[in-house]
Amino acid sequence: MEFFTAYKEPRPVRLPEMTRTFAYESLHYKYGRDTWENQAVSLDHIPNFDQLSTLEKYNAAIFEIASNAPIRVCENELISGAATLGAAIKHMVPATYNGKLLFDSVSHLTLGFDNVLKFGVNDIKKRINKSLSNQTNKKNIETLKSMLHCINCLEIWHGRYIEALSRSKKYAGNLKNLQNVPFQPATSFYEAVQSLWFTFAFTRLCGNWPGIGRIDAMLGPYLKKDLAQGIITIQQAREVLAHFFIKGCEWVRGGDYEGGDAQHYQNIILSGVDENGEDITNEVTYLVLDIIEELGISDFPITVRVNKNTEITLLKRMAEVIRHGGGIVAVYNEDLILDALTDFGYDLKEARTFANDGCWEMQIPGKTCFSYAPFDALKLLQDATLAGYDKNKTCFDTYEGLYQKFLEDLKEAVENIYKECSYDSEYWNLRAETPCSVVSLFTEECIERGLSYFDGGAKYYVISPHIGGLPDVVNSLYAIRRLVFEEKKVTFPGFMDILKNNWEGYEPLRQYVLNHYEYFGNDNDEVDRIAVQLLDDFSDICQSLNGRSIILYPAGVSTFGRQIQWAPERMASPHGRKKGDVLAGNLSPTPGTDLKGATAVIKSYCKANMKKLVSGAALDINLFPTTVYDNEGIEAIIGLIQGFVKLGGFFMQLDVVDNNILKQAQVHPENFPTLSVRVSGWNARFVTLNKEWQDMIIQRVSKENA
Amino acid sequence: MKLPVVRIQRFCMHDGPGIRTTVFLKGCPLRCKWCHNPEMQKIEQEMFYTPSKCIHCRMCMICKNNAHVFTSQGHFYDRSKCRLCGNCAAMCPGKALETVCRMMDLDEIILEVMQDAAFYGKNGGITISGGEPMMHPVETIALLKAAKEKNLNTAIETSGYFDKEFLPVLCKYTDTFLWDFKDSDNARHIENTGVSNEQIIENLLIADKLKANIILRCILINTINFTKDHIKEIAALYKKLNHCTKVKFFSYHPMGSSKLERLGCSNNGKTEWMVSEKDINWAKSEFLRNLEAE
Repeated sequence: MEFFTAYKEPRPVRLPEMTRTFAYESLHYKYGRDTWENQAVSLDHIPNFDQLSTLEKYNAAIFEIASNAPIRVCENELISGAATLGAAIKHMVPATYNGKLLFDSVSHLTLGFDNVLKFGVNDIKKRINKSLSNQTNKKNIETLKSMLHCINCLEIWHGRYIEALSRSKKYAGNLKNLQNVPFQPATSFYEAVQSLWFTFAFTRLCGNWPGIGRIDAMLGPYLKKDLAQGIITIQQAREVLAHFFIKGCEWVRGGDYEGGDAQHYQNIILSGVDENGEDITNEVTYLVLDIIEELGISDFPITVRVNKNTEITLLKRMAEVIRHGGGIVAVYNEDLILDALTDFGYDLKEARTFANDGCWEMQIPGKTCFSYAPFDALKLLQDATLAGYDKNKTCFDTYEGLYQKFLEDLKEAVENIYKECSYDSEYWNLRAETPCSVVSLFTEECIERGLSYFDGGAKYYVISPHIGGLPDVVNSLYAIRRLVFEEKKVTFPGFMDILKNNWEGYEPLRQYVLNHYEYFGNDNDEVDRIAVQLLDDFSDICQSLNGRSIILYPAGVSTFGRQIQWAPERMASPHGRKKGDVLAGNLSPTPGTDLKGATAVIKSYCKANMKKLVSGAALDINLFPTTVYDNEGIEAIIGLIQGFVKLGGFFMQLDVVDNNILKQAQVHPENFPTLSVRVSGWNARFVTLNKEWQDMIIQRVSKENA
Repeated sequence: MKLPVVRIQRFCMHDGPGIRTTVFLKGCPLRCKWCHNPEMQKIEQEMFYTPSKCIHCRMCMICKNNAHVFTSQGHFYDRSKCRLCGNCAAMCPGKALETVCRMMDLDEIILEVMQDAAFYGKNGGITISGGEPMMHPVETIALLKAAKEKNLNTAIETSGYFDKEFLPVLCKYTDTFLWDFKDSDNARHIENTGVSNEQIIENLLIADKLKANIILRCILINTINFTKDHIKEIAALYKKLNHCTKVKFFSYHPMGSSKLERLGCSNNGKTEWMVSEKDINWAKSEFLRNLEAE
């Protein structure tokens, strides 16, 4: 029973054999396949269903799910509850009417699970009842009643598990532990883990994909207390927490889905400071790293909040986990992010609670309704600024003129996002009608306002314009500047023709551009300055949208995997790229152009003023396994992280990948069922990605492996 | 002061402690048959030519000495006519032609090494390698001194074959010596590297007396020095040293082969020279066994 590692030595063994077996089977889809087979409950039997209001239909769906979703108690599990309906894995409320799924569900948020642990769901019920007595508006009353209904459904579902567990004496411990939570406040670490899992599993069962948030901040105090009182040992605590992670492997899919099977935004944040600025790192922080190191579970992508005071012991543990590969542990630069959030206008105390949307975009957890609006800046440059390389429609005498026109186009693109997604736009109003009571329950102020998560209940509404294709735009602008305006090797109209014809007949010029210029990612100030300026201008444009309505517009940089779809549609690029060639992902260099290694890539990235990119900007770094061998390898990873923080980076995902292994896995997927890779804000089992996505991962790492 | 720099490689993990930037210098007094960096043997400029990168654009015909000729058979590069001026390399779009080194000012080298200052931490820094850096003793020592002035950790990777007079000042500015020890059998050493190991051992003992922090790097080459006796002699040598912190064994690797071809030389590397991970582990335990022996 071995858990895959990219390292030369096997993963350490700390957990008991029984738990390891449970993990092994879960990772090999034992429960995932079962979930996939039961797609949804049916609402067909409900009389006059068509005549019900949207909210009534939603209420009926949640009731049916809670009452009839299969109950699953796994052999030897220590915590119970399971999201057993396959349609939820497709981001839908898993209930059908006439064979059709009715409701999309909610993601890109971290819910306020901390309140459930501290106060219990009964407290939420109390708050709803109190709010109901103050409301007169019919819609608000219906919204609140739907929330109450969802709590009733949670009770029904809970009752079914209590019943299932009471059937066997074997689960007496589980039964006792589940008896009071999540309705009462958790009183022990074991109860707290169960409460968190059960609540999370219920929201998932209903189709939602929330992030978990700061698990060590939530669970650490319970463990500290229990350890002090001798109620639990650290080994027992590790095992209980391991079951949380193992149960999280219950969702898999594959074959029909491009982005792989593990991208359900169930992200976890570790370490960092609390509201008062005190370090929260505790036993749970280290237990999570222990578990990931041993089992290699990648279903919960983890990001550690690192600041200038982060203990070397924590960095060392991160490095030890990272070098096993799988891309499970990423890094936030906490100091910079807190500056970014407070500069943007968040209160410092609130900013300090930051988590993400389940991917890596910043948000205040439990209080934020977030979405992002992605666009491709390379398309903008090619189609708008350079008019599809039509020399009759575009010509510039200077680089500055070209850049100014591109900025105008960029401004227009961002304004279009504002128009399409603004307050009271069609998008906004349509979304406000989407029922989401399960999520409203765990979002602060929805209850007090009597409004749903989508319809004004959340404290913050955020739409983040996300610029994509940025490194390719920077490289394009740089190549034009050098070739046309500085070296004058070709005229502007001449170059337009060459690009329009996909470099046909100009191979020497293309080779020259490819090999004689250094592009973004090589720590070359000349080209990096273009990136700095462009990101600065872009964030200023986004900033100008703030204050116009209740919506906040923080700037962000991402492509996630969109560059895969973009690549075949883009024309040739000035930096030597032919039509169809690979494009840059996120704020990482165009694959094949970074020739100076990871430190140079980090430096190029960090030159931008990340404080203004409030939503975040991701950097992907892939290291070859031998680079991180032995103590030197640990030092290398720690050095990279510390350098990244010192230089003012935002978010970095470090993966350890051997391209030869990836290529083998493409040919023999059966031999690598659990090989995990970092995709973007999420991980996926490599063999469940489709060919294009697999190739993207391989191309991305090819340079380091060359 | 200038040095012939072949490459400045950032983010090096195995050239001393921490994250390091390694400066590779051209020129070496040894001619090891298994050389990993054959382009750094000769002190003079050389030209890399990689036919697979040539797109037959004929830009290299700029050459005044007609070193580049195109026929129906393709591109012929006549090294006997080449004056190594580098004009063709500057023109070559695909870098099929590349000069091996460039002369760099010490300031220029330091500036590039400082690019990664944020990553060095306490342990990381600069490593000077080659070739044999001490082929340029005055300049190399000046570079180490300049690095120390920037508070960098300094390391040198050396064959140990240089004038012992330089040792006191070299030790003063070098935090770590990565000292190659290629063979304990002097006849074999002479046969395979072209020089005797006596100077190397003498220098090593002097450096140790000067309290230099030494890591011994021992290449293992199957059918040449991969023997019990050699491992025993390494252990014996190690026992004489008071400041050697580590002995590292590593295998011959045919990475020099493709470079030889690009230099227009015949490739005489042999894959049978490689030893396996298992062999390395055997060498380690054999070494430890010998240490405990007396």
